[in-house]
Amino acid sequence: MTRADKRRLYLVILEVIIVIIGLVYIYPVFLMFMNSVKPFREVVMDVIALPSKIEWKNYSYVMDKMNYWSLFLNNVIITVVGIAGIVFFSSFTAYIIERRPNRYTNFIHTLIITPMLIPFQTIMITLLKVMNVLHLSGSIWGLGIQYWGFGIPMATFIYCNFLHTIPKEIDESAKIDGASTIRTFFSVIFPLLKNVTITVIVLDVMWIWNDFLLPLLMVNSSAKTKTLVLSAYTFVGQFNTQWQYAMASMVLAIVPSIIVFILLQKYIIEGVVAGAVKG
Amino acid sequence: MGAKRKEQIENVLFTLPAVILVSATIYIPFILSGYYSLTKWNGISKQPEFIGFQNFVTIFTDASSNFLNSILFTTKYTVVFIIFANIFALALAVALTQKFKLANVMRGVFFIPYIMSMTIVGFIWKFIFSQGFAKLFEMTGWSWLNLSWLGNPNLAFYSVAFVGIWQSVGFYIVLYIAGLQAIPSDVLEAATVDGATGLRKFFSVTFPMLWPSVTTCVFMSLTNSLKVFDIILALTQGGPGKATASVTLEIYREAFQNNNYGLGSAESIVYFLFVLILTQVVLKAFNKRDVGL
Repeated sequence: MTRADKRRLYLVILEVIIVIIGLVYIYPVFLMFMNSVKPFREVVMDVIALPSKIEWKNYSYVMDKMNYWSLFLNNVIITVVGIAGIVFFSSFTAYIIERRPNRYTNFIHTLIITPMLIPFQTIMITLLKVMNVLHLSGSIWGLGIQYWGFGIPMATFIYCNFLHTIPKEIDESAKIDGASTIRTFFSVIFPLLKNVTITVIVLDVMWIWNDFLLPLLMVNSSAKTKTLVLSAYTFVGQFNTQWQYAMASMVLAIVPSIIVFILLQKYIIEGVVAGAVKG
Repeated sequence: MGAKRKEQIENVLFTLPAVILVSATIYIPFILSGYYSLTKWNGISKQPEFIGFQNFVTIFTDASSNFLNSILFTTKYTVVFIIFANIFALALAVALTQKFKLANVMRGVFFIPYIMSMTIVGFIWKFIFSQGFAKLFEMTGWSWLNLSWLGNPNLAFYSVAFVGIWQSVGFYIVLYIAGLQAIPSDVLEAATVDGATGLRKFFSVTFPMLWPSVTTCVFMSLTNSLKVFDIILALTQGGPGKATASVTLEIYREAFQNNNYGLGSAESIVYFLFVLILTQVVLKAFNKRDVGL
């Protein structure tokens, strides 16, 4: 056997091992999908066996019961509102901080990124009280707005690091043409931030879409304002013996993320890496 | 109005929204937590009663307080999480950067649990530990499947840690892959020419060059594991007893289930200091190592 043959054999063996590990690794997710389409009797008898027939009724039952599309819309509103505000405020604030370094903006910089050190659970008790006063609790729009404050520190940090790499001559030439600060930023600089904006969007969509504790505190009291994850959480509590319904509600909560991940895998992984390395 | 003056006004005006938003969601609640930690307050009565440092005394000395246990649990969880999440992720990253056909697909597979809500992940594993293991035991007769993985306090710790690692190992894998791909291939080739192969090459060439990624991953796994909450709430609710109650869960319970908002606030202040000190110590330790290289 030549060296190249050995190398090829080694790669084949490695591939087989990794694929086996991968299948075992992802089996729990498969198990969830499988049991979500089983008749109740089969879930009770044998959770491992494949379903004898696909019971889509489980899904129509759960979607009806949890009012799926309206909750889906809630999730979309919260996420879109949250992301739009985070991107808008963070990029513009970072621009001011980065382009006009003086004692005041340095102080603002520190003030805005320091909260990255404060864990959410430290403030959650009193947050509820503050948000009650501001009338931002109990509403999905209010929840979306709350994410602005929580998302700005990290996003501003990432934008600041990136703005560093954009030459100042670009905004100076716009300034000579007489454009205002706002105009210079949004028509000249912001388009150049596209890659970092994608990073921020990826990180924040994954966070806000799947977030549990903040929605639990803010919007869990009414069935109308719940998010998909909260609804699945309630469902599992209600149907703790009827696992097929619980599983269907869980699948419904995560399927949007999985579809988006499969479509945008490259951007998502790049965004996550960029966020971790810069953050 | 001078250009300088105009710029100053802009500086204040344009950064003000972000400052207000961050203050309303983070700073004001943080300061209030500091205040309420010195009070006895059930969240309903209008006036919290000022009691000085009594809550802190209760946390550290009262036998009925589970806070110190939860600190211990969180510390143990963090140590186990950091070690195993990083070892598994690094090993898989090395394997997944080899040139075989399915490598890209498998990267995606390991990443999938990371994009799922942690609450859902907790429920999936609750189902597997209860229903799945029972059935597998029936089929195989392997006795470890018949252990009470969520009911026995010691085993429950490992179950929770295992699920936490399972959920996020994909995240660390992609970070390590990025680090491995950044290593110049001529360095690795030179090492091969010099006769270094396999593990020897990995530990004396690859690993030192990967150090920035290791630092990032250890730090991220530290901060993430100190915050563990959703998975535990879904998987064990802190049980059996309070064996798997993390600090975050303890604070949540004290405030929102026992309605001891003052005591909960005091716990959250101690937790904040705990996280702050631990992260700073780890950062310092890693920076020293960087200089040493």
